[in-house]
Formats: sequence, structure tokens, C-alpha cells
Amino acid sequence: MLETALKGNSRYWGWISLLLIVMGIGGATWVYQLNQGLTITGLSRDVSWGFYVAQLTYMVGVAAAAVMLVLPYYFHHYKAFKNMIILAEFQAIGAIIICMGSIVVDLGQPQRMLNVILHPTPNSVLFWDMVVLNGYLLLNLIIGWVTLMYQRSNMMPPKWVKPLVYLSIVWAVSIHTVTAFLYQGLPGRHFWLTAVMAPRFLASAFCAGPAILLLVAMIVEKVSSFRAGEEAKKAMAKIIVYAMCINIFLFLCEVFTAFYSGIPGHKHPIEFLFGAAHANYVAVLMWTATALAAFSLVCLIPPKLRENQKLLPWALVALVIATYIDKGIGLLIGGFTPNPFEGFSFYAPTLPEIAITAAVYAAGIFVITILYKVALSIKEETAA
Amino acid sequence: MAGNASHFKIRWGMAIDLDKCTGCGACVVSCQVENNNAPSMDGDDKLRTVNWLKVYRLENGKTFPDADVAYLPRPCMQCGNPSCVPVCPVVATDKNEEGGIVSQVYPRCIGCRYCMAACPYHSRVFNWFDPVWPKGMEKTLTPFTSTRPRGVVEKCHFCHHRWNMAKEKARKDGLDPMSLPEDAYIPACAEVCPTGALVFGDLNNHDHQVYKLAHSPYARRLLERLGGDPQVYYVSRREWVWKQLDNYLPGEDPAHGTKAKGGAHG
Repeated sequence: MLETALKGNSRYWGWISLLLIVMGIGGATWVYQLNQGLTITGLSRDVSWGFYVAQLTYMVGVAAAAVMLVLPYYFHHYKAFKNMIILAEFQAIGAIIICMGSIVVDLGQPQRMLNVILHPTPNSVLFWDMVVLNGYLLLNLIIGWVTLMYQRSNMMPPKWVKPLVYLSIVWAVSIHTVTAFLYQGLPGRHFWLTAVMAPRFLASAFCAGPAILLLVAMIVEKVSSFRAGEEAKKAMAKIIVYAMCINIFLFLCEVFTAFYSGIPGHKHPIEFLFGAAHANYVAVLMWTATALAAFSLVCLIPPKLRENQKLLPWALVALVIATYIDKGIGLLIGGFTPNPFEGFSFYAPTLPEIAITAAVYAAGIFVITILYKVALSIKEETAA
Repeated sequence: MAGNASHFKIRWGMAIDLDKCTGCGACVVSCQVENNNAPSMDGDDKLRTVNWLKVYRLENGKTFPDADVAYLPRPCMQCGNPSCVPVCPVVATDKNEEGGIVSQVYPRCIGCRYCMAACPYHSRVFNWFDPVWPKGMEKTLTPFTSTRPRGVVEKCHFCHHRWNMAKEKARKDGLDPMSLPEDAYIPACAEVCPTGALVFGDLNNHDHQVYKLAHSPYARRLLERLGGDPQVYYVSRREWVWKQLDNYLPGEDPAHGTKAKGGAHG
């Protein structure tokens, strides 16, 4: 089936080349990082995780977009998602590759990373994160690939795929929960030490993931004969707006808890993030995110506006940027600033950090592109 | 999450008298030499130095004639309930050995820095740079501790090798290695301190000076209310100093600090 990815028009090859160039530049930068060490990043004693781990946090959510479609399709027999399912599953694969790549480039000694398996530690959340991410990758790969193989021969997928699908639905929830637990169990980090961290991860994932998927589907529709279906798109927009409302509600719960209780440890990171103390570029980003989130809700809540196909992509882009800033950059930097002694240390990603991250993204998008190409070629093949 | 430290027969700990400390930095230097910390690439960048023990300057914020300063040496707290241990994905750090010292296995550490995110004291340092000893400086290397490569996390372990040496000596002399005389094992920092501000010993041994100091009404611990149960105590008779050892609300009285207790709580 993979051979179908070798035939494409010039636009397809142009896109592939672009991704390869980004991977090449970022890859060379990674060699530079391996050579020089993490000193080429903006990280320090006080902000020991930054841009790299922020990508893990965000892309875990994107990986979960699949479950928002797989669940209605399999549990509620919502057939409108029929065409979208395979895109969702393959997007999850790419997103997890980005997650795992982001961890690898963040390690000080990446050549030792298999120690996580050689010395398994059930008490470390990072160990479980490795387990659930790899598991989810494998599940989606098997489910997507087998379904496609049978589809090529005009057959229904075999019966044994179904239990795997059900497992993947539960598994999707676990990848967020476990990634949120990475943060929420540390006694000295007040911004993360909150019971709604995992629910926030789920809510932001269930809006950002489908939003990116819907945007990608719109692009795929432009460049191929693929059609998501109007009903599917409408349903997705509804899922996105509900999840976004819950996401913002949970964030406001945090704000209420911090400021009504007046507990300094809870207040300080939020004050820093929104520029009330030691304001820097992070405050600009957070206010941008606030404005974009508000804009996306205004465009998505009224059904009239939500169904406006011209406006929808803009609302989705705004939503994606807003959630990215909040859950990626804001969550990480806010968690480390101020430090437990109420000191403020500046962190901003450096150019090499950004280049390496771009390469990690390019690698994930590369895999998604290949998988989409296979899926779409087979759809066209069987339709003909 | 972490194991309870109270089951250790010996609990090595330190009491640091902030009213005696002059901030001379001898402890920092002796620690660096004893444990083969490479000279800093950029000593100015305090966020990237690899000192296991650092001295912080505390100020009361007042002007002359009321201005007052204190110096706070900060080794690893060897917490009874460490936040760094359970998070490690490769068991590169543990608190499982008699004595209650939090270990670090440098050859196994993958450099994920999760322990640094978990430790509220900044006791854990990451090797941002390749360790380089300028020509001639390699003569300062000691045979006690292995050097560490770039990209791993390292930390203070109360000069654990000195405990091993003390135990060996006790065995040779026909003594019980598990009940050493009070000063048979002390870390380099405490040994070199010219004012006697750093006192080291077994927190479980009522005859040790450190036990008495830790139970003094003037003893406090750093960020004690996070529940980490640190095994390092700070002694001061100055109330403004206590106030800087933990995060207090305005108007809150740090005088009612908790006295030394064994085991984990919180």
C-alpha cells in the first residue's frame, strides 16, 4: 500500500520537499545541539523545561482528536464521520511522533533514552507517558492500516479490530490524563498543582485537536477529491465549540480559586502570565490568546456564524493559536515562574530551539502526509 | 508518593547556623573540589553553574542603621519525602539506603530534568556544558567522585564517599560501621567551615550535636510547609531570617515554626 505514496503530482512532491528541507535544517541544528549540549537553548536552573516540552503537552491533545470522531462513529453509529475517521487516526499517529520527538530532543543524554525501558519505574509518570504514547501510536497504526488494507479489497475490517477501536477510545483519555499528571503532582509548583489539570487537558485537547483536524480536512478537500461531508463538518464544529467552552470554563475556575482564596502561590503565576508582575513577552502572548479565544467563541457559538464556511476557518485558526499559547507556552513558563522562592527568571526559546522544534513538526507532518496520501489513493482506487 | 524516611536507623542531616555563617564561601569551594565539579564556563550565569552547594545572600530590606544581611548555604535537603525521587523515569535517583541520603546515578540519568522540575530547592543541577578543566587545573581532581558528562543531572550527596571511607575504617579498626563516632563522617563543606556554622551528624542520634540543634526553638527548615521533610535545618535567632525561609502571608508569624520531627509528614 505504501507504494501509492510514491505517485503524486508536482504539488505533492513540492510539499514533501519542503518538509524534508525543514527536517534537514532542524536536523542539522539538532546535531549542533548534540555537539554543544542544551546550552544552546534558553533553558536554565529555574525554567528547566520549556519550548520542547510545551510541544509535547500541546500535541498530546491533537493526537486525541481521533477519539472525538471514533467515539460517535463506533459507540453511537454516527455514520457522518465515516470519511473523517481515517484522517483522524492518521493525524493521531503524526501528533504522537511529534510528542515523542519533542521529548527526545529535550533529553540531555538522548542516547540513553532506552533506560526508561531497561529500568522501568511504575512510580514515575514519565514512564507511564512513554507507555501510553507508544501504545496509542501502535493502536492507531494497526487500526488505520488494517481498515485501509481491507477497504482496498472492498471488505469490511476484520472483527478483531473492533476491540482495539474500543481500547483506543479509553486509551485516548489516558494519554491526556497521564501527561497532565506529569505536572499536577509536584508539591512546589503551584500553577500545576490543581485537580482540574487533567480535565483542562481533556477539554483543550477535545477542542484543539478536532479544530486542527477540520482545518486539515478543508485543505485536503482543496487538493484532492476527498470530501468530509457537510454534516460531519457541522458536527465537528459543534464538538469543538462545546469543548472550547468547557476549556475556558475550567481556566476561569482556576482564576476564581486563585483570587477568591487569595492564596499567593496560586495567584502569582497567573499574575505573571497576564503581566501584573514582571511582565514580559509571555503576557503579550497570553492576552493575544485571550483575544483570539474570545473571537473564536463569538464566531463559533451562534449557529448562523458557525455554519458560515468562509468564517469557520478563521475561527478555527484563532482557536488553535489561543489554545496553543495557553496549553503550550503559558502552562510551561507559568509553571516555572515565579520559582518556589518567588524569584523570577526569564525564559524565551532560542532560534536553534525553534529550528529543532520545526523539524520535529515537519517529521510528524511528513508521516501524516504519507499516510493521508495512501488513504486517499486507496479511496480513489476503490471508488473507480 | 515517596517512601517514608522514618524507617532508617540513621538519618544524616545538617544544622546550619545562619547567625554564624559569614558567607565566606569556603563550603562552596571545598564542595566543588571534593566532588570534581568542573570550573564554571560562565560563573556570572548563576542559573547554569554546577555547584551542588550554593550560598544565598538574604537581606532584611531596611536601610542603615537597621540594614542586616544573612548568608544561607544550601546543600541538598535530602528530604525525608523527596519530590525528585518518584518522578525519575529511570531510577537514577533513590532514597533507599540506610542513612537517608538521596542518591544520584550519573551513568543512568537521561537528562530529562523532571527531578529539577520537581525539586523546589533548586538543589539539582544540570550539566549544561562539557566539564572542562583548563590545563593544570586537572591536578585538582580527586579520586573520590567520578566526573559527570554534559547532559546529566547531579546533586549533593553529603559526600557519600566519605561515609563509605569512614565505614571501611571502622571495619578495619574492629568497630561497628553502623554506629560511628560523631565526627568520623562529615562532608567536606561542614569540615572546612571556619565558623562552625555547618554541623553534620545523625538526626536520629540524641547524643549528636545536630540532633540538639535541630530541636532548638530557633531551628527552621526551608519551604517546610511543602511537606518535603528536609533533613537540613537552619538555626537563627533573627525573625526576619525565618520569614525568608518559607513563603509567609503578610502579617503571618513565623515564630510558631514546627519543631524537628522524625519521618515524613504533609
